[in-house]
Amino acid sequence: MPLLELVDLRVCVEDKEVIKGVSLKIEPGEVHVIMGPNGSGKSTLLSAIMGLKKTRICGGSIIFNGVDITNMPSYERAKLGIALAHQNPPEIKGVKLIDVANAMAKKYGCSDCTLLAKTLLVNSFLHRSLFVGFSGGEKKRTELFLLMLQNPKLALLDEPDSGVDVESIEILARTMETLRSRGTSLILVTHTGAITEKLSKIDKVHILMNGQIAYSGSPDVVLPVVFKFGFRKGLEVLMGGM
Amino acid sequence: MYDSQLVFKALEKPAPYGPDLDLSKYKIEEPGVEETREVDPSLLKATSRVGLDASSLAYAQRNEQALATAMAKLLEKYGVIVLPTKEALLRKPFARELSWKLVDPTKDKYTAFAYLYGGEVGYFIYVPPGVKVPVPIYTCLSITSNNVVQTAHNIVYVDEGAEAHLVTGCAIPHGVKDGVHIGISEFYIAKNAKLTFTMLHAWAEGLHVRPRTVVKVEEGGEYINYYVTYSPVASIQTYPVVYLGRNARAYLASIIASSNKGIYDIGSKAVLEQPGAGVENVSRVVARDESESYARAEIEALESDTKGHIECLGLLLSPKAVISSIPIITSRKQGALLSHEAAIGLIADEEIDYLMSRGFTEEEAKAVLVRGFMSIDAPLPPSIKKQVDYILDMVAKYAVG
Repeated sequence: MPLLELVDLRVCVEDKEVIKGVSLKIEPGEVHVIMGPNGSGKSTLLSAIMGLKKTRICGGSIIFNGVDITNMPSYERAKLGIALAHQNPPEIKGVKLIDVANAMAKKYGCSDCTLLAKTLLVNSFLHRSLFVGFSGGEKKRTELFLLMLQNPKLALLDEPDSGVDVESIEILARTMETLRSRGTSLILVTHTGAITEKLSKIDKVHILMNGQIAYSGSPDVVLPVVFKFGFRKGLEVLMGGM
Repeated sequence: MYDSQLVFKALEKPAPYGPDLDLSKYKIEEPGVEETREVDPSLLKATSRVGLDASSLAYAQRNEQALATAMAKLLEKYGVIVLPTKEALLRKPFARELSWKLVDPTKDKYTAFAYLYGGEVGYFIYVPPGVKVPVPIYTCLSITSNNVVQTAHNIVYVDEGAEAHLVTGCAIPHGVKDGVHIGISEFYIAKNAKLTFTMLHAWAEGLHVRPRTVVKVEEGGEYINYYVTYSPVASIQTYPVVYLGRNARAYLASIIASSNKGIYDIGSKAVLEQPGAGVENVSRVVARDESESYARAEIEALESDTKGHIECLGLLLSPKAVISSIPIITSRKQGALLSHEAAIGLIADEEIDYLMSRGFTEEEAKAVLVRGFMSIDAPLPPSIKKQVDYILDMVAKYAVG
């Protein structure tokens, strides 16, 4: 049984259909990468899998571990084992990172929170308001830290490599490797693909264009073409080669 | 001594803010003072509502009954005097010199009532020069009967270079439905002395609260006031005034969680009397149900080289609640730097959505956000901060229902 199955999923944001019929299967422990140009719907797709309120399912279904979660609120999905590292988390004044982390550790149970905070270099801003004045790298590392606290079965990573320095990319990639080694499935959305070079194993790469999966293939085939030709031209090359 | 004719006349004088009350509708009990080793169960219930441990109280008051406690005796080893005001006025000439000097009984009907009919119940605290009291001084005032007026007259004097942390809990045990609390507080902070005054309040639905407070901070002194109120109340109206001398500092913080149909008219005024004086006036209002909240804050600078800032933030949790923020800054001399900021808003959907994706239910997410909204970095000692945090956790849960 796949861990996650999207069946002809259609997602609307306000009144606009952004995801226009995506079907996808992810097995336990698999790493999938979703790439695509700006505005192709990558973040919307992850938000819909997580169940964020800003997205509305306007067709199809989401099956997680055999359970239809299409209409389930996000906190219940989180309890089932889905976690999202947001691309642009909101700045929350007054709410300290440590308070959210402690509350989450209580919810999910965490034996090595301190070590995790050190590994992801978030311990120096644990007492600061969540994301207020954080740099790009600090935001991404914090997101991954909170995601790790959820000990998820499926980790959705929305552009963890955008706007971060080289050191942060290394740390983020190592953390993803840890997740994978624990058997967590990953869906990694990336615009630039920078982080893909740091990952030891990717099972599949999907190219999302205009809300639809235009191409799926192995990373050895897709990534060099995309890096060389970009998305549109690369897609032509890939399709032509079929 | 005040002209009694004028004070009697003031019984008819309404306060400029808050609903006007007919005090003749309420009873006043016979005042008294008693020694106690154990605090009675009704008071215990009340103290637990504001997170205070009854055994640590240096002073307790139930209705018009002052309870001198064993803890007050323990504080004697630091030279600290804690006495029911009535007793202090009898035994200490110094206390008489301080009594009704900062608060004018003719100010309004509530001060006049306390002056004329109050039994001088309340606490008198004296901290000798240079003594830094290592433990917080806890006091508690409670009303355990229906339809009564409780008066309290509190006098605190922190002498030169001394430091004290006073925590007062005012609470009503469940079951008491109506009444009036009039608290008169006169605080003196001498040269280079410091007083932190934390007030934790949990009143009752039919209760009207009218504190009248004046604080005088002398050269180099510091006054930190942290006021928290939650749970329903019929009305609260308070507008303490703090006078600041040369290089004196004040930090005035109010955290208000308003609910039901209560009227919460809470403010404070700082008068910067001498150069170098500074104040920060911070308030957070979280309003639900059909409550009306007025967050007033005023700074008046009489001298140059003074500084003051007001920050009033409000959060509406219900479509029928009202928050009105009224900051006033007045400068009477060039060279005073005064500023204010005020904002009223809603909890952002985006923030709720974010926390829900981390596994918090909608209610939990709102409570986390409200708790964060109420967090201010008040310069309180760690032990009191811990207590305040405990109360704010309760307040946040209460605020989101």
